[in-house]
Amino acid sequence: MEQYRDAGGNLSQPDFEQVFLPHLDAAYNLARWLLRNDQDAEDAVQEAYLRAYKAFARFRGGDGKAWFMTILRNVCYTMIKKLRSNETSEPFDERIHQSMSDLEMQEAFRRKADAENLHYALEKLPDEFREIIVLHDLEGLAYREIAAVASIPIGTVMSRLARARGRLRTEIIALNAKEPSS
Amino acid sequence: MNHDEVARLLGPFQDGELDLATSQKLEEHLASCPSCQQKLAGEQELANLIRSEIPRFQASPFLKTRIQAALRENKSTSATIPSWNPITLAWAYSGLAVATLVILAVGVFWTQRVPVLEQEAVTNHVRSLQVSHLMDVASTDQHTVKPWFAGKLDYSPQVVDLSPSGYPLMGGRLDVLDHRNVAAIIYQRRKHYINLFIWPSDTKSLHARLYNQNGYHVLDWTKSGMNYLAVSELGEKELNEFVQMIQDQTIDK
Repeated sequence: MEQYRDAGGNLSQPDFEQVFLPHLDAAYNLARWLLRNDQDAEDAVQEAYLRAYKAFARFRGGDGKAWFMTILRNVCYTMIKKLRSNETSEPFDERIHQSMSDLEMQEAFRRKADAENLHYALEKLPDEFREIIVLHDLEGLAYREIAAVASIPIGTVMSRLARARGRLRTEIIALNAKEPSS
Repeated sequence: MNHDEVARLLGPFQDGELDLATSQKLEEHLASCPSCQQKLAGEQELANLIRSEIPRFQASPFLKTRIQAALRENKSTSATIPSWNPITLAWAYSGLAVATLVILAVGVFWTQRVPVLEQEAVTNHVRSLQVSHLMDVASTDQHTVKPWFAGKLDYSPQVVDLSPSGYPLMGGRLDVLDHRNVAAIIYQRRKHYINLFIWPSDTKSLHARLYNQNGYHVLDWTKSGMNYLAVSELGEKELNEFVQMIQDQTIDK
């Protein structure tokens, strides 16, 4: 990163773009999953780039992607607060989870785990679960990168990801219970 | 390692996030424990399905252009002056403001990045003018140009004549754009030519934007399942006027 700076420690716009624009797809994907529509996602990504550009003087090297995604994530959560201030999440039914064996769960899951249901189930997950699946499984960030982006310890990344995946599985099985396949 | 410990570590194990020693202990347990093997298989199946079946949302290609423009704007309006020495500063106050405006204006013109498709279209246009291969079928009659494409393309482009408005139809040509055969319809405006490329929008739609590459203007849009891309050395205003007329006269199917 240092090679891009001028004597005053500043980054020119073309260099800034060269370093950070490659993360645009990852940023957009996370923003789109968190904010749930194209327009908000585009606005969030643009805002994140502007903030990153202004804040760049404070960036002291290291993982540029994690640094940028942290800014983007903050922008997204600020927007979520504004957009969904009076939205309450559906209560989650844990009973399905408790009444089935591992094998039964896996089979019930397999019957319904198509693209449409997976997409639907991921959309239904709480933000923190949806975000960790997007960051890890779709964007391929390592645990330590996610820890940096979400400002949580690595142990929390590990347990949250496990819970998110478990919840996704249960959501799909619950879907199965509501609309039994013929 | 007991079952609970293993269950807790299966996720990080399959994600490749465990250290070597822990991985080995876990593998030892797995080797002799069918029920944990089963769990691992389930975890892997879930993770694979998430990766293969859930889409990564793709940003519109114009988001990048939009952000670059926003960064430029931000720079020109709210840029701070960080560590100028007094001499530079004095100079800046006298003449730099004007110079900056000029540089920014030129910079905007130069650094606007033209996407690959539009660049390719400009190349096609230039080549069509260079090698006296402007037209495969030279005709000012739309009822000659349109049927000429039959059998050469797997779709039928709409050909409209704009000669009453000062953009006479000159003919048609088969060209290649975006890895496929496309119809190129040629129009004339005074001594200038316009290549209008038409092809089905089955893989991507275009978003009605104007590009400028080395003095050539490109305007493209999508209508009724067809992509249209007009390229010419004509000025922005005339190309816009031409495109407006084409848009008005192409009929919705």
